Amino acid sequence: MSKAFFIDTSRCTACRGCQVACKEWHELPATKTRQRGTHQNPVDLNPYTYKLVRFREHKVNDTVKWNFFPDQCRHCLEAPCKDVADNYVKGAVVRDEETGAIIYTELTKQLPNKAFEEMRSDCPYDIPRRHDGTGLIVKCDMCIDRVSNGLLPMCVKTCPSGAMNFGARKEMLNMANKRLAVLKREYPKAQLVDEDDVNVIYLITEKPEFYHDFVLAQGFGAITRKAALAKLVSPVKAQLRPLQNLFA
Amino acid sequence: MEITRRGFVKLTGLGAASIALSQLGFDLGPAKAYAAGLKIKGAKEVISICPFCAVCCHFIAHVKDGKVINTEGDPGYPISEGALCAKGASMLPMINSDHRLLKPLYRAPYSDRWEEKSWDWMLTRLAQRMKDTRDNDFKRYNDKGETVNRVNSMFHLGSSQMDNEECAVVHQAMRALGIVHFDHQARI
Repeated sequence: MSKAFFIDTSRCTACRGCQVACKEWHELPATKTRQRGTHQNPVDLNPYTYKLVRFREHKVNDTVKWNFFPDQCRHCLEAPCKDVADNYVKGAVVRDEETGAIIYTELTKQLPNKAFEEMRSDCPYDIPRRHDGTGLIVKCDMCIDRVSNGLLPMCVKTCPSGAMNFGARKEMLNMANKRLAVLKREYPKAQLVDEDDVNVIYLITEKPEFYHDFVLAQGFGAITRKAALAKLVSPVKAQLRPLQNLFA
Repeated sequence: MEITRRGFVKLTGLGAASIALSQLGFDLGPAKAYAAGLKIKGAKEVISICPFCAVCCHFIAHVKDGKVINTEGDPGYPISEGALCAKGASMLPMINSDHRLLKPLYRAPYSDRWEEKSWDWMLTRLAQRMKDTRDNDFKRYNDKGETVNRVNSMFHLGSSQMDNEECAVVHQAMRALGIVHFDHQARI
């Protein structure tokens, strides 16, 4: 049966246990960063960081809202990155039938840079990153080695607050809807994010833009995602890229 | 094995599908290869304790060929139930890092470099320095002539990893030396 994450941001304390545990399991080195006036570190996902707790604060009526968003690949039910990769190298991006995990394999090294750029701009959540040295394209792999051996993904195993949950998709949806009903009373803006299209279901209690620019996928629904992405997301990303590079 | 008609249809269907896939040139190998090896399979599990805060979370260290290859939370520990924060989740580099000190280092007064010393040498030196400081600075009376029996030049910082009984013993030992300045490292 397809697996899913349920990420309840209302329970996230931004301890970043998930981010560190992910890095340790995947044996990824530290990246050099500098103090930028926020606890978010590093500035963005990178080839050595598949999981990143994003911090964003806003002032609303003299109250500071500080939101945390443990960002990662959403393991889309119909993954645009896989569609792109399939046009170039079959098997570079695969979907694990048992879990629904979208996996980037060693074959991603063979993808031309044009394909990578297309994959990244077609991703509704701006997730794929490419390793300059090896050419490997990387992101969260749902700890497929652990999950297929009956263990929890490392981020979920580590989470001390109950924000990260993992299990059968049906159970996770159930859990998400129950939690949403509770939170709705106190937070009228509470919502689940793109729960019909992805296997990583976020629950947020504020406006999506109070968390991160790529919380919601643009273009799910009436128009096809690809068409919508080409029209909506890309210009946004094009504007954001120089900003991100500035802070990197 | 009894094969029903339905089962037979399914079996042949499956067979046909596999042939079709291989004929089309699909190599199913790489698609499955990613899930093949679990690095902690067959590793020895050793329980240890995160040294950072007073919660003392247990973690499991997976040991293979005498080397710790992974650390993760211990679900059997009733307080954290297998969870770890960012500090606890980083036990692996704590153990394997090049920066980890394995021997005590000593920097002599006015020296600009560290020397490796044995624990014996280091503990003797510490004890001697403590005794000298105490003997030099011990005050029986204050300026008003009141009995105080104290040392003002030493300070004791406790550890959040110590339990009540250990704290009591250390406290008494420090009081015996005349130390009156105490604090506690609740969290670093």
